[in-house]
Amino acid sequence: MFLKIAGSMIVLLASSFLGYILARDCSRRPQQLRSLQNLLQMFENHITYLSDVLVEAFDRISRSGVETGIFFRTAAELLKDGTAANASEAWEMAVRNCIGLTALNKEDEQILLSFGKMLGSTDLEGQIKNIRLTLGQLAVQEEKAEENRKKNESMYKSLGILGGMALVIILI
Amino acid sequence: MKENTDSKLSVRTTSNLRKDILPLISGRVAEAISGALIYGLEPLEEIRLRAGKPLVLQNWSREWFIGSDGLPSPKPAGSFIVTQEDIRTTLELMSENSVYAYQDEIRNGFITIRGGHRVGITGKVVLDGGSVRNIRDVSGLNIRISNQVLGCSSKVLKYLFRSSNDIYNTLIISPPQCGKTTILRDIARNVSNGVPELGFRGIKVAIVDERSEIAASVRGVPQNDVGLRTDVLDGCPKSIGMKMMIRSMSPKVIITDEIGNDGDREAVHSVLNAGVRIITTAHGYNISELKSRREVLMLMEDKVFERYIVLDDSEGPGTLSEVVDGTDMKVIWRADRSVS
Repeated sequence: MFLKIAGSMIVLLASSFLGYILARDCSRRPQQLRSLQNLLQMFENHITYLSDVLVEAFDRISRSGVETGIFFRTAAELLKDGTAANASEAWEMAVRNCIGLTALNKEDEQILLSFGKMLGSTDLEGQIKNIRLTLGQLAVQEEKAEENRKKNESMYKSLGILGGMALVIILI
Repeated sequence: MKENTDSKLSVRTTSNLRKDILPLISGRVAEAISGALIYGLEPLEEIRLRAGKPLVLQNWSREWFIGSDGLPSPKPAGSFIVTQEDIRTTLELMSENSVYAYQDEIRNGFITIRGGHRVGITGKVVLDGGSVRNIRDVSGLNIRISNQVLGCSSKVLKYLFRSSNDIYNTLIISPPQCGKTTILRDIARNVSNGVPELGFRGIKVAIVDERSEIAASVRGVPQNDVGLRTDVLDGCPKSIGMKMMIRSMSPKVIITDEIGNDGDREAVHSVLNAGVRIITTAHGYNISELKSRREVLMLMEDKVFERYIVLDDSEGPGTLSEVVDGTDMKVIWRADRSVS
């Protein structure tokens, strides 16, 4: 009997935990999309007002300490150690390697990849247009993610607990 | 390294082609160049990249192409061809992947890279109300390798010094490609550091470097050695820059390149009125040819310059041709051409 109770407790805990994690992921994504927009905004300021070169600007941006800074940090490192031949290559590698560490999905990845295509290779106006375009797309993604979060967050949580209970009942 | 003959000024050339330039050229092209360099083409003067055209290396004797076997060849047929992609990559590397940060320079048609080398740019010009806003679709690059020739002005220096801490107002006259700017740079360095052998103590020098050629600044920092008492105002129009320097840096001498635009005369006079000396240069083959240029002629009539130094390339760039006293137009020194 004791084993049964302990076992059901474990199953219940595990499933609620799973639900909790899935719910947290829902709120992580809009958060990261938001911070990514902030970083891009910073990038725009750096190149417009400080006319930093790309590596400098990326270094400064990545120092802001948010999770999504990892794209900028990785791209800057790839450029510095010469692994990537140019900025767009470095950015592409950084996005592909680091997207797994964030909560961003395939769609977000595509947006980031297309941002990299023009990175550093055009005049200031082109760069700014590129940044603005990406900002707009990210804002749309954020909105969608936010809606998703509202829908799913509580669902995942309760589903976790209820699913756990159901499993316990079936098993008992 | 060239021999220091009687009137030849080249003494010690320093350039760092492999360290400064090759890493900034698209990999494929850089490999071809470094492969060909083994055959003793150095010192190179220019590397030319034109989209769809052969790669050209120019040294003091002639232009070279790179044959399909990787050897330098004097004939363009079947030689290494540069693509527009190579040029695009090269420009990205040269601008540190930040073409936008070099936009002001690209607008003027060239960028200066680390080591003081200048890269001329051609392509499709984007206009904005009559002025150039950008050059895009870059189709040609001309990498002019800056060979800093330390000591090249030593022949000239003794004609410049008035006393142990004063110099004459000087105009250097030379045809293009004859080492005008190279000599000016070396004069700046010597005047600023002082020349103990000639009993000259260093004085404060201000360089107004309108075209970033003298000091070759990259993001404000001079890449060439222009002396320890030297201040450089980079990319500033001469007429404005000279006045700014007088007010801000209290120099003893102002050095600037290629005088002769409208407004230069007035600026030169304001320099002299402030008790500051001037050393500058002008394009020309001899003194009489300069008289056809109004702004320079007026400066000559004003007796601004006390020394005229004429260069030519009869024995390689930077050959000293004659030195003339500007106050009475007497020749102080003239190259003896019967010997050469």
